[in-house]
Amino acid sequence: MSELQLSNVRKSYGGLEVIKGVDLDIKSGEFVVFVGPSGCGKSTLLRMIAGLEEITSGDLTIDDIRMNDVDPSKRGIAMVFQSYALYPHMTVRENMGFALRFAGIPKAEIEKRVSEAANILELGPLLERKPKQLSGGQRQRVAIGRAIVRHPKIFLFDEPLSNLDAELRVHMRIEIARLHKQLAATIIYVTHDQVEAMTLADKIVVMRGGVVEQIGSPLDLYDDPANLFVAGFIGSPKMNFLKGVIETGDGGTFTRLSDYGDAKIPVGLTGATPGTAVTVGIRPEHFKETGTAALDLTIDMLEHLGGETFAYARHGNGELVVIETKNGRGLKSGDRIAARFDPACALLFDADGKRLR
Amino acid sequence: MRTSPANIASAILTYGFVGLMAFLSVFPFIWMALGATNSSIDIIKGRLAPGEALATNIANFFTLVNVPLVFWNSAKVTIFATVLTLAVSSLAGYGFEIFRSRHRERLYRAMLLTLMIPFAALMIPLFIMVGKMGLINTHIAVVLPTIGSAFIVFYFRQSTKAFPSELRDAAKVDGLKEWQIFLYIYVPVMRSTYAAAFIIVFMTAWNNYLWPLIVLQSNETKTITLVISSLASAYYPDYGVVMVGTILATLPTLAVFFFMQRQFVQGMLGSVK
Repeated sequence: MSELQLSNVRKSYGGLEVIKGVDLDIKSGEFVVFVGPSGCGKSTLLRMIAGLEEITSGDLTIDDIRMNDVDPSKRGIAMVFQSYALYPHMTVRENMGFALRFAGIPKAEIEKRVSEAANILELGPLLERKPKQLSGGQRQRVAIGRAIVRHPKIFLFDEPLSNLDAELRVHMRIEIARLHKQLAATIIYVTHDQVEAMTLADKIVVMRGGVVEQIGSPLDLYDDPANLFVAGFIGSPKMNFLKGVIETGDGGTFTRLSDYGDAKIPVGLTGATPGTAVTVGIRPEHFKETGTAALDLTIDMLEHLGGETFAYARHGNGELVVIETKNGRGLKSGDRIAARFDPACALLFDADGKRLR
Repeated sequence: MRTSPANIASAILTYGFVGLMAFLSVFPFIWMALGATNSSIDIIKGRLAPGEALATNIANFFTLVNVPLVFWNSAKVTIFATVLTLAVSSLAGYGFEIFRSRHRERLYRAMLLTLMIPFAALMIPLFIMVGKMGLINTHIAVVLPTIGSAFIVFYFRQSTKAFPSELRDAAKVDGLKEWQIFLYIYVPVMRSTYAAAFIIVFMTAWNNYLWPLIVLQSNETKTITLVISSLASAYYPDYGVVMVGTILATLPTLAVFFFMQRQFVQGMLGSVK
């Protein structure tokens, strides 16, 4: 187990800066997930930690030792790749022991470590097979086994589940979580799937355009996003965003939603300036049958998932609002509903997307 | 498929063309095999049936030619040329594809341009160079100009595009140096590409004629192609003997092709899937 720090880490390709000053502390045993849309720099940052990409400026330290110029194999890391990157001409046993052979570890020790990892991952019967004789899930387990045998300080996972089908993805997600518990390992995991991030992480790092937007525990990010991007990225279906303007009146300060029949949402903010354009964020599950605020909407489309229903509704020709309800079986397209919610659940964002608290 | 007159005409044309091509490809082999069984006179007369002179032709060939020495010369030149060409050209192809540099593409294009220069234009300067190096009438002189093959470099570069970059990354994390990645990962993963290139280079080297004709001047150093040529250009050439020599000269390339046919096809389709 080990600690890792990134201090003002940057990466440029010629004049193009792709990582724009990342600061991050990862504690021993933490499961940290880098999440963000394609091209946000999360995989590049992981490759910089692995030593596969040079760090243009800033410092990377592992256990207080600067690692910027250290060879990938000497950093104490092991990496699991998206395509598994198993050597196709070697058996599972040879794949798992390959790095150890090059590190000059005695044969008996290699055998011991490979057997241990094979037991953990239930790979025993597959050890003499070649990668092409394995299923996607088995290949993934071999790739993880290859990382385990090295006894690394830090495990790096680069979108390891994206090549698997939906069912296997859920299964492997649980396997990885179990492995984290079993090995008490420090893990840095890259994904663009926010469900993976929410279910696996102790700490999520949300990235966009080479910048860290917010760092926090999954529920902190869900409940208390710092900006519009994080609020929209974390949560599925995503948060509803309604345009409004701050106003004051008899009832105090409120947000008027002109696109939704001039609905008024009381604002519990001190110092909110009247006339300020804001975005109101409401999560689909925050719509209830009771609540002091309400939107008059017409249902456009319904998704019945059994346990709950997602209703896609709109006011006039406005944008779709997603509503999650447990009692949606009786609803049908064209129904008019008053979507109520507790104003305390609504989040406000300014014109730049920053959270207003 | 509907059997309309247009379709029938198209099928007749297609099969006619394919049949003609097949005939043109196979006929020299049939003629060679039949010729080996006939006397020189019968061959000149255009006889295209099995004859009874096979044993005589074989005996004459073994009398006229020091077969072990000639085959040893050809084998030596071919094996060295093949191994060195594959080693040098695959390294170059790998390097061109993997390592980025400002001048990479310019250099690569310049190398490809050399494919457009006919060997006849290079022959004399090459002969002078080899002469200055004191290598005339040596097998080194035959092998040396062939090992930097622009076509094989091109072939390896194209094939390397399909080599997964994540394998290199995984190998780096596993502690391999660049030369170890090439030797322990790239070479075994690309073995079908090597097999296809092996067949191409082996055939070219075995059948190489013009350059050895210029630099090999003594009977002790001559390869099979030169010996067959000298048999055919005698004052009274014995074509039956020439045909026997040609069949013997064809056997190694046929054997290599048949043994490596599967890898050749796989290599042409791409090593990595």
